[in-house]
Amino acid sequence: MLVTWPYRRRGSFLETFDPRARLLFALSLMLSTLFFWDVRVLAGLWVLALFYFRLNRLTWRETRRAWLFTGFVAGVFVTITFLTGRGGFEVYQTERLLARLSLPVTIFGWTPAVNVTMERMFFAFSQMCRMGTVITAAILIPYTLDPTQYGVVFRGLGLPDKIAYAMDLAFRFIPTLGRDALQTMDAQRARGYELENIRGGPLAQIRRLAPLVVPVTLHALMTAEDIIDAMDLRAFGVGRRTWLTELRFRRHDFVLLGLSAALFFGSMAAAALGFGRFWVP
Amino acid sequence: MAPILEVHDFTFRYAARPQPAVQGISFSVEEGEMVLVAGPSGCGKSTLLRALNGLIPRSYKGDLQGSIRIGGVDPRTWPLARLSQQVGTLLQDPERQIVAADVLHDVAFGLENLGWPRSRILERVDEVLHALGISHLRDRPTFQLSGGEKQRVALAGVLAMAPRILLLDEPLASLDPQSAQEALALFRQLHQEGHTVLLVEHRVEDAVRARPDKALYLEEGRLAFMGDLEAFFERVDPTAVKVPFPVWLRRWPGVRGRPMPRVEIPPASPSAPPLVVFEDVSFGYGDGPDVLHGIRAEIRKGDSLAILGPNGAGKTTLLKLAMGLLKPRRGRVWVGGKTTREQTVAGIAHTIGYVFQSPSQMLFAPTVWEEVAFGPRNLGHPPDQIEADVRWALELVGLLDQAQSSPWALSFGQQKRVTIASVLSMRSRILVMDEPTAGQDYRSYMRLMDAIARIAFGPAPAVDALVFITHDLDLALSFANRVWVVADGRLIADGPPEEVFSDPETMRQGRLVPTSLLEANRQHWRRIGRFLRAERLVEFLQGTETAHRA
Repeated sequence: MLVTWPYRRRGSFLETFDPRARLLFALSLMLSTLFFWDVRVLAGLWVLALFYFRLNRLTWRETRRAWLFTGFVAGVFVTITFLTGRGGFEVYQTERLLARLSLPVTIFGWTPAVNVTMERMFFAFSQMCRMGTVITAAILIPYTLDPTQYGVVFRGLGLPDKIAYAMDLAFRFIPTLGRDALQTMDAQRARGYELENIRGGPLAQIRRLAPLVVPVTLHALMTAEDIIDAMDLRAFGVGRRTWLTELRFRRHDFVLLGLSAALFFGSMAAAALGFGRFWVP
Repeated sequence: MAPILEVHDFTFRYAARPQPAVQGISFSVEEGEMVLVAGPSGCGKSTLLRALNGLIPRSYKGDLQGSIRIGGVDPRTWPLARLSQQVGTLLQDPERQIVAADVLHDVAFGLENLGWPRSRILERVDEVLHALGISHLRDRPTFQLSGGEKQRVALAGVLAMAPRILLLDEPLASLDPQSAQEALALFRQLHQEGHTVLLVEHRVEDAVRARPDKALYLEEGRLAFMGDLEAFFERVDPTAVKVPFPVWLRRWPGVRGRPMPRVEIPPASPSAPPLVVFEDVSFGYGDGPDVLHGIRAEIRKGDSLAILGPNGAGKTTLLKLAMGLLKPRRGRVWVGGKTTREQTVAGIAHTIGYVFQSPSQMLFAPTVWEEVAFGPRNLGHPPDQIEADVRWALELVGLLDQAQSSPWALSFGQQKRVTIASVLSMRSRILVMDEPTAGQDYRSYMRLMDAIARIAFGPAPAVDALVFITHDLDLALSFANRVWVVADGRLIADGPPEEVFSDPETMRQGRLVPTSLLEANRQHWRRIGRFLRAERLVEFLQGTETAHRA
């Protein structure tokens, strides 16, 4: 059976809005970041995302795991880009060297070193702000969207019945996969398997992940087959379906939708006019 | 009047298999009848159900011969929407059936698919929830329901579509005894209200409490018997199907000549050295409330310990604490002279071999041999010893001939045995099993438990103690010398089965329901000195009577 994300009603002002309007605002925040590389604009968007996050009455305590995980992934990406200097070559041509840091070792005549430049630093800041905005808006969705409404929200956004229900299931499949992975990890640890002790080259390491990856994947396939059977037995997909929950936009929803549209199209227009390009002081 | 269901010379072979799963099956069911469909694992029950509910041939392709008629019409000519209103299926595991995130939407799911207007759907859902006595669950998230509640919700989703025929596929498999009783009473009520019910269940002793009109018995894909229950009990092999104890008594003359398991499980000794000690242990998940409260107990050398209790009472959590997979919030768990905080899980695996409930959670290797060798390799055993231990473990579970097969190509029962062999090969001192008999038929699991009892209590014991979680009270009284009952996160009983199962308050709190074997044991145990499994008890009683007659 599929489990759901840890949603609960929080009595926030935003809960009075239609979930589609809230989802679209979060999406417009995420997509708007794609138009800019100016750290000042991106930082502004991140502040707006964090303000929206607070308005939803989400706390650090309940979301800290999600922050730590996504923050770690983002941190790794930004660090790799900074160290290699390859991420920003499309947005800046010249670099002002601030320092050259090198390790006191030589490997086959090569000394590991990194050039710390203003451009690389500000590119890293911009990248962090962009990812921060996307992460903040994305974390909101599972915590604030009622799992009983996933399907009807996507249906209400114009997707066909089957695709909307598939999105509903896909949303719930992610935490279910997480739960299954933990159970498999426990079962394998009880057989002396220790993830932290995996050694060897990259291929050997991938092979050593098989005790975790194979059961989780096959179990997921079996779960999917079970769900398909259960849905077939209750006439899923035989025709146009009724969605028990009825969503209706009200006046204040249109205000939020207007803000979303203004943010997205405004960002698009600003970018087209050359505003918000990469900036270095 | 024509029967509501007619199956004539039905044969089906799955596309990927060389042999048919069912062959030449013919029977009919009258409207309003309740039919018990029994048979061992792999006998073709699931295939028959899939043919009746339309998954064959719609979702499962293969070669189909013969005919099935519902109300005189071939259901293959119907669209799925119509078929789903004729035949409703309650799947074996309600977790596999529930698709929506809350009860209201799950019960409404079928009606939404049929395109009913909202007001009619809400009316119908409320009507069905009320009829099943679960109106209070209407707005609950489905994943938070107990096992019994999930089953009622799944059944409500089926009944909402008002099918003429109800197919119930091993509906008792995942329920604790009290929930199983409540489910059977509900099926009986549905039957009395006029539903035609096909109850597929190999726990025949339990199923007969729903008072089916007749029984249908499948063996190796063929119909071996169809008739009333009395005739069924005169014909069925009591070592193959779990039957009420009086049937054992009647059928004993035909069974007595067969070889019987002879492993004696001696009584547990309170003075034996402790292997695991729970020292005032409390535990809760994350920031949630405690789910285990102040557990004080020991697992000792020579124990064959059965852990019983309602779904969600904390049984598995307790064993995960012993394994070090979870750490106590308060108190300590001692394993082999150290607390679980001072050891790694791999280190504890030298003492405790833990077999998880579901094989699909752990099977990964390309061959059974590799799967069974995985644990001892992780523990750093030398190659010669691994070779010998893998062979020994596979022989014990009867799978040495499958050593080069893929674990995923085996039946569920065989997969379960692979998981047990995978843990046995680590040569841990305590063998811990979570629901070792789940998903297997009576004969298979009794043989497996006999093999396990030999491992612990045979002439060359290979483990110091056995621990198993079960809902099956007869299994506990047959194979345990000690019983724990866990309810609401507390250990409410710890003692020999004779003592624990004779206490009405423990039985009530632990949602345990006396079986006919327990009743018979209760009558005679003071004379015998202990509880006995069915074969032994009947042997004792018949021997005594013979002696009296002599």
